[in-house]
Amino acid sequence: MKALIVAEYTRDALEGIKAAKTLATGSTILLVFGPASTEAENLSGLVDKVYTLPSRNPEAVYNALRRVYEDEKPDLILGVVSKNVKDSLSRLAGAYDLPMSTEVLEASVEDGSVKYKRGILSERAYSIEKVPMPAIILFNPRIFEPEEARPGGEVVKLDEGDTKVKQIGISKKQLSGVKLEEAEIVVGVGRGFKKKEDLKLAFELAELLGGQVGGSRPIAADFKWLPEDAWIGISGKRISPKLYIAIGISGAPQHMSAVMGSKVIVAVNKDKNAPIFKQADYGVVADLYQFLPILIKKIRERKG
Amino acid sequence: MGDIVVLLKAALNPEMVRSKPDGTLDQDAIPLKLSDIDRNAVEEAAKLKQKLGGKVIGIMVLTVGPMAKREKDLKMAVQEALAKGVDEAIVVADDRLTPGDQVQTAKIIAEVIRNSGINPSIILASEATIDETTGQIPGRVAAKLGLPYISFARSIEVADGKIIAERDLEEELEKVEAELPVVVSVTQEINQPRPPTLIQIRRAARKPQKRLGADDVKQAIGTKRVILERRIVTINRKQQIIEGSNLEEIADKLIEILEKEGVIKL
Ligand SMILES: Cc1cc2nc3c(=O)[nH]c(=O)nc-3n(C[C@H](O)[C@H](O)[C@H](O)COP(=O)(O)OP(=O)(O)OC[C@H]3O[C@@H](n4cnc5c(N)ncnc54)[C@H](O)[C@@H]3O)c2cc1C
Repeated sequence: MKALIVAEYTRDALEGIKAAKTLATGSTILLVFGPASTEAENLSGLVDKVYTLPSRNPEAVYNALRRVYEDEKPDLILGVVSKNVKDSLSRLAGAYDLPMSTEVLEASVEDGSVKYKRGILSERAYSIEKVPMPAIILFNPRIFEPEEARPGGEVVKLDEGDTKVKQIGISKKQLSGVKLEEAEIVVGVGRGFKKKEDLKLAFELAELLGGQVGGSRPIAADFKWLPEDAWIGISGKRISPKLYIAIGISGAPQHMSAVMGSKVIVAVNKDKNAPIFKQADYGVVADLYQFLPILIKKIRERKG
Repeated sequence: MGDIVVLLKAALNPEMVRSKPDGTLDQDAIPLKLSDIDRNAVEEAAKLKQKLGGKVIGIMVLTVGPMAKREKDLKMAVQEALAKGVDEAIVVADDRLTPGDQVQTAKIIAEVIRNSGINPSIILASEATIDETTGQIPGRVAAKLGLPYISFARSIEVADGKIIAERDLEEELEKVEAELPVVVSVTQEINQPRPPTLIQIRRAARKPQKRLGADDVKQAIGTKRVILERRIVTINRKQQIIEGSNLEEIADKLIEILEKEGVIKL
């Protein structure tokens, strides 16, 4: 068996190598691109060969992948989901009609095929599926413990090939560094809040309880009232605090699937039919603008 | 401007998940709807057409059967897309093509584009659908047609045969440029889809629709994925609404409950 691991970030490369070694025995080849390419030498002792490409343009990665695929003929192509990894591998999948699975939770290899489990229906259900190899399997992050980096192997440099999509600018997003996935108490804000300034009610509540503030996708990604690392959901962060207080959030599956690890979920929503009440432990049917000031006042009084 | 193609999916609706008594998914009982972010793709297509002309062609491939149960939802999903800006719909639906997988779906889409006299300047798709959410179809189609691909676009600007797009990456926004034709996947943030007007809804019923079956896409038939088991994730929450004669009383009760649960300490 031959596995090809594709990674954009060093941590993902280390998890990918672990995944390859857990799934099957045989040779392992690593392709690192973009930020992880600078670590090619350091990782080379873990695998039989490292291919490295400095560019993170997914078209360049696709060009390089095609050459490596032709030369190496891997049975299994593994990685951890990131946007550029998905992009470049989806093209490889299309070019060779390879089955491809993303956000995979677990996988095993048996006589010529891969069996895996992944969330479907916005993670309201899961599916166990089987595909013949060669196949592409991208795991969710943090499923595998990373290997320890080790230098000393063969490194092969790849070039970009011809690219039709050119980068003409790049800007860093404003991120706060808040680690919602580690917080014990999270206050989640949704479109029930009418303007950015009103979020101070949520921040006040979070501070009193020693918690952090996160939000639904529209609040973080569309309105940008919160930094994107405070975005909770299947396309943002998955959280499992002791207490999640969702305020003005309707309870869409893409949001709720990512908070189901919470011990206790409280929902505050003015619509008694909001779907979130069926997915919460405790519900308060109220206008947040009336209820939050009272709740904050009461907590303050009790704290003395 | 050549054709503006939009890839559409009538997807299983995750808000209406149904299961059998043993916890396995009752997939036949789950209705389909036009996948959420497809609306953003249609809206973007309509905006492009307004600015540059051209025709908006929607392509929808049914991936879950049985047809007898899906006809109504499929029709609704197509109608919605037509009302929101698609000019002409091509629907590929056949029990011989279900259950589909991404290998087959991408092959069908590429074959339809090649064989239906479509001359795409841009092919728009959503970053991911609400049921499978793997986001791989646009990349596959781009590779099959040999077209450049721009994924996760949060904004696009098309002029003079060129596209400038902003890609939404984990920690950066990346601006890229390419010449048309191109395949683009859009994020939910790219626009705010407008609800169709009554006139648009009425007109939708008269717009051309082409229905294709397995015999029309013979080269594309063949899946690789076998589904072994699908189960629902059970949600066990107390679902207790805190009642009280006023908000003060409700707030007091909530605080006491949370203290008793041991999740807050004041
Ligand atoms: C592929 C895909 C991925 C997605 N990923 C994510 C994700 O990662 N995270 C995410 O959050 N979403 C995600 N979404 C979007 C998701 O489908 C919902 O659109 C989104 O979660 C809704 O956010 P919301 O609850 O804040 O807003 P809404 O659904 O608009 O809900 C607002 C709620 O506030 C209530 N409200 C209004 N005013 C008040 C008031 N004064 N007091 C109290 N309550 C009030 C309303 O009753 C309503 O229930 C994704 C969608 C797709 C298709």
